Amino acid sequence: MPIPLTPKRIESIKFGILSPREIRRMSVTKIITADTYDDDGFPIEMGLMDPRLGVIDPGLRCKTCGQKAGECPGHFGHIELAAPVIHVGYAKVIKKLLESTCRKCGRLNLREEEKKRFLEQIRTRKEMDLPYDDIINRVFKEAKKEKVCVHCGEEQKEIILEKPTTFYEGEHRLTPTDVRERLERIPDDDLEVIGMDPENARPEWMVLTVLPVPPVTMRPSITLESGQRSEDDLTHKLVDIIRINQRFQENREAGAPQLIIEDLWELLQYHVTTYLDNEVSGVPPARHRSGRPLKTLAQRLKGKEGRFRGSLSGKRVNFSARTVISPDPCLRISEVGVPLEVAKELTVPIYVTPRNIDECREYVRRGPDNHPGANYVKRPDGRRVKITENNKEELAEMLAPGWIVERQLKDGDIVLFNRQPSLHRMSIMAHEVRVLPYKTFRLNPTVCPPYNADFDGDEMNLHVPQTEEARAEARILMHIQENILSPRFGGPIIGGIHDYITGLYLLTRKNILFSEEETMELVRNLDLRALPDPCEIKNGRRYWSGKQIFSLTLPKELNLRYQAEICRGCEICKEENCEYDAFVVIKDGELICGTIDEKGIGAFKGKILDAIVKKFGSEVASKFLDDVTRLAIRSIMHFGFSFGIDDEDIPREARRQIADVIKKAEERVARLIEAYVNGELEPLPGRTIEETVELKIMQELAKARDMAGEIAGRYLGPDNSAVVMAVSGARGSMLNLTQMAACVGQQSVRGERINRGYHGRTLPHFKIGDLGARARGFVSRSYKDGLSPTEFFFHAIGGREGLVDTAVRTSQSGYLQRRLINALQDLEVKYDGTVRDARGTIVQFVYGEDGIDPARSDYGKSINVKEIVSEILGEGGDGK
Amino acid sequence: MLDRRALSKAYFTKEKIAQHHIESFNEFLERGLQKVIDEQKRIETDIPDTYVELGKIYVGNPTVVEADGLEAPIYPNEARLRNLTYKSFLYLEMAIIQNDEEIDRKVANIGQLPIMVKSKKCNLYGLSDEELIEKGEDPTDPGGYFIINGSERVLMTLEDLAPNKIFVEYEERYGDKIEVAKVFSQRRGYRALVVVERNKNSILEVSFPSVNKVNYVTLVRALGLEYDQEIVESVSDDPEIVKFMLENLEEAEVETTEEAIDEIGKKVAAGQAKEYRRKRALYVLDKYLLPHLGDEEEDRLAKAHFLGRMAEACFELALGRRGEDDKDHYANKRLKLAGDLMEDLFRVAFSRLARDIKYQLERASMRHRELNINTAIRSDVLTERIIHPLATGNWVGGRTGVSQLLDTTDYVSTLSHLRRVISPLSRSQPHFEARDLHATQWGRICPSETPEGPNCGLVKNLAQMVELSIGLEENEVENIRRELLNLGMNPIRGGAIGWKL
Repeated sequence: MPIPLTPKRIESIKFGILSPREIRRMSVTKIITADTYDDDGFPIEMGLMDPRLGVIDPGLRCKTCGQKAGECPGHFGHIELAAPVIHVGYAKVIKKLLESTCRKCGRLNLREEEKKRFLEQIRTRKEMDLPYDDIINRVFKEAKKEKVCVHCGEEQKEIILEKPTTFYEGEHRLTPTDVRERLERIPDDDLEVIGMDPENARPEWMVLTVLPVPPVTMRPSITLESGQRSEDDLTHKLVDIIRINQRFQENREAGAPQLIIEDLWELLQYHVTTYLDNEVSGVPPARHRSGRPLKTLAQRLKGKEGRFRGSLSGKRVNFSARTVISPDPCLRISEVGVPLEVAKELTVPIYVTPRNIDECREYVRRGPDNHPGANYVKRPDGRRVKITENNKEELAEMLAPGWIVERQLKDGDIVLFNRQPSLHRMSIMAHEVRVLPYKTFRLNPTVCPPYNADFDGDEMNLHVPQTEEARAEARILMHIQENILSPRFGGPIIGGIHDYITGLYLLTRKNILFSEEETMELVRNLDLRALPDPCEIKNGRRYWSGKQIFSLTLPKELNLRYQAEICRGCEICKEENCEYDAFVVIKDGELICGTIDEKGIGAFKGKILDAIVKKFGSEVASKFLDDVTRLAIRSIMHFGFSFGIDDEDIPREARRQIADVIKKAEERVARLIEAYVNGELEPLPGRTIEETVELKIMQELAKARDMAGEIAGRYLGPDNSAVVMAVSGARGSMLNLTQMAACVGQQSVRGERINRGYHGRTLPHFKIGDLGARARGFVSRSYKDGLSPTEFFFHAIGGREGLVDTAVRTSQSGYLQRRLINALQDLEVKYDGTVRDARGTIVQFVYGEDGIDPARSDYGKSINVKEIVSEILGEGGDGK
Repeated sequence: MLDRRALSKAYFTKEKIAQHHIESFNEFLERGLQKVIDEQKRIETDIPDTYVELGKIYVGNPTVVEADGLEAPIYPNEARLRNLTYKSFLYLEMAIIQNDEEIDRKVANIGQLPIMVKSKKCNLYGLSDEELIEKGEDPTDPGGYFIINGSERVLMTLEDLAPNKIFVEYEERYGDKIEVAKVFSQRRGYRALVVVERNKNSILEVSFPSVNKVNYVTLVRALGLEYDQEIVESVSDDPEIVKFMLENLEEAEVETTEEAIDEIGKKVAAGQAKEYRRKRALYVLDKYLLPHLGDEEEDRLAKAHFLGRMAEACFELALGRRGEDDKDHYANKRLKLAGDLMEDLFRVAFSRLARDIKYQLERASMRHRELNINTAIRSDVLTERIIHPLATGNWVGGRTGVSQLLDTTDYVSTLSHLRRVISPLSRSQPHFEARDLHATQWGRICPSETPEGPNCGLVKNLAQMVELSIGLEENEVENIRRELLNLGMNPIRGGAIGWKL
């Protein structure tokens, strides 16, 4: 059985420096030989691979704790250094300490009262849990100033640190032994003023006399195919240290000349330095025989692939899958289509009980190749057994309560689905599995907005929760339908996009009637028991209106009034009598008037969706979305919808008008320039004349383009596919249409007309000093007409700016996101309603200062008074 | 109207696709190699009165040396299939001269040079389509790349700010807007940035390698413009600029050339003996200041006049007579092609070989062996130094990504890769202006093809019909100068000055 999971609480963490005593205490053996293995391949005792340091070979047992490889965490050993060496990481601190303490008596070079003053300041800061490093810096500064010891009167000399580890006092060189002696002399009482804790970090411990040898488990050797052993970089470095250490000792004992001793000492210092950090500036990095610099301790921790960023913050996981996504409108919004191959690989653990043992047997019997089967069983003793064709029957028989069956993923399982970048919480949501053929993850297009996904090759990740707790959390908190409302703006983030909107727009527009056959075809996918009364009977045949059909998907108690996306924004709203059918009224779940468009069911804007989630809950909303999207697809297929080059065709008359508009605009621009050249132009307030003329030209040309667009729009008519899409909010805008059919308009770089280029002109095709519309990037033609070479080039200039902008923005927003998350990650709304950080400090007394959960708010506002009033007074419809 | 497409088709043929690479490499083979050798001229040694004289360099055709020592011509496809490097031997005429006596003279093999496919030395040069097919080549393959250990590698065309050209711009200095004139002076692979700046008191200061901010007047005095009038005239005769110059002269620290040299000596060799200071100052002036004008004593006056032009540019900017120079203007850009890059590489590799030869000769002499060219050359030194950067893309000078694996996703991607132009600007900074499509790129750089993402606008592609011009050789410039003198140009006093500008 697995180890009982009793959570342990960490009381506190203390940081300190390992003292020589501590190092020896935790060491299981002293390491004296640089050799690792003997000729028979057995580790040498008191060598770097001493069996007491832990085991890495499977099958062997640790000589210290008796556990097997994988269980034994490893044990430290130690090397007794023949002479002390400076720890590179502390060289700077050591310098500060030497400078601020007396070279003779070792006391902090401050008068008692000064010391007391600083100590008090530090203590108060400590009490208030505030950082006090600035005070310590002041202590160092003050103490360094004294040229003579205030305690014993000894004259102080200048300490120079020659990077990385050599200390000089004036001209005289300090050996690590000298340094250590001085540090030893610093009394405990003075240490607090320097911000050190004598209990856990005596300064002399920064000079190493004993070196801990990390367990073999953290520097495993690899056996190559040739049977040759290849040691870890750390082991190599330790070998160097031991060798030099030995040589040093031998030489000293043999009474070698001082020069040789010093050289060896320096060599030892070099090896210890590079063992700790192989990227110290000023020290040539220690290299492997192949010339590759060794990866030593600091290199293991540092950087993107280091322990912190690479292995702790960024772990890899099992039970996950990644592949390309593609759309499937037949899926429910809460479903995700999982390829069969993926489903066969991913598993869910099932605890076998007397109640489900038969079911479990069935899974095991089906084996790994027969889809809803099982891949592994876990016996009560913890052994994991792979199910194969040969042993599946046997295992099924052996199955008993207490076993765990790792069952393959099947329909209905809850899984987490994610797309990077995970910028908000809706980037990971829980879906239900639908196992499908082929190789892509399938999802309903309505959930594209929260993931910000499209199908141009996007890939997504899928994770299978492995415990009941995780599954419950996923179902309750992360399920798609619980995330229809975005906490970003308090409206639905899941909703109709593109063709869904077009489909419903076509369906509910005007009063289109559908015959019984057509109606049936449209509602085929809805879960209906009966059709409402037909709105018209002609020649004995029954007809239903599009609005009626749409109403079938609405909850019966829904009441709503709003202005649709197609609303022209008339000065006085005629409401129900709107001639554009842009005022939507829903009464008792019946669409009375108005057209359904982006404002009704679109993601971000969908009012109907919003109302349904808030009034009827996510379950109903999810159902509504399923129904309405299916209806929309049927609808758009009924009408048929396409867009082609001939949809941009406008009659000759329109083209003439547009050309006229542009010509007139160009003339006006020419006049403006003339006025500017003659100095007759009045500058606008706060602007220079140059800016004024530019501004006026830009306005003139923008106006011309808008007018051209208007003309084109007039001739294209409301049934044009592009117009339908633009008006209903499904895709594109009237501006896009204008550019396609009428006039592309002014190209700009950073908000200005195109000015850069050759001296005095943009392109050599123009005269020097030409400020005219065409010379500065006005594209008078439409995409349909085709651009002239210069126009094309200006368009490329303008287009490039957009491209650069997107590229630069994405990287900047990513960084901003990281910083925000770093700053906010620990904030939490506590049960008393306050927002506090990790230390319990109150950040806000009430969340957001108003206590409103934005996901439950009305587009960011706490309540919609008008809606409540109308609901209570008159049940929506005509409630005023 | 004339069907321009026919014209375009006739002009832009498949040979044109990588022509720029091939021509540039041919130029390197024919002139660049010899130029580098001539720069070195001889290898001096520490053995008394002994040096090695260098003569003509020859390039063979690509060969392969088999394990048994057999040498045979090789065609690119064999190199690709057998993971070999498509390279030729380099032969250099060398002579050891001791006490003015020639001890040994040989045409020695100094190493191997990778050969660009379809360049003049390539074994495919001048073959017809049928012959190409017979050699295992695709006749539509444009060439222009190298084959290193079997992989096809392209040298990227690098776009750089034009060297030896004066650029004026505004700069922030402690909150003040000041005018600076900059020049990247370049000669033989050595690059030196020279900056003339006008500080807020209108005093000019000059910075160049190893000297940080020296008074302008001091510097030009040290260069030989001693009299006030000369100094002013070397800058401008515009009354307003003259006024600025008079202010400068008023503030001058020194009166004579000698004083000025010593003043600079104090900067470059502080605390040294006077004699040494003088020597050092002159050395710095000759070697580090505007190296493109020469490194001899006679070039000093030219340098002073060049500085005068920089000063004038500064003042003109300050007076609003001219605007800042547009660094993105394509007239201010130079493209470094495969040949130029190979020249840089060969220069460094060859100097390393020269040092090795010197070392080997000295060692031989120490051991009292006879000096011999063949034993002194370790040809691997050069070969290794050339092939390694080509294989990894880590060029001399710390540039990375210079050589890239030829993109063969499809034919068009290969063509695009061969015509790619890379800007050395860092991709992590926005550099909005540098990424913009500049109007001067019309006809030179494709307006449409650039990657999306962090490299947008920094990685470009040559336009279809672009024609690259190559810089002139020094002796050709000499002809132009002579012509100008014939037309009545007055040389500035001091002989051959000013004309190199």
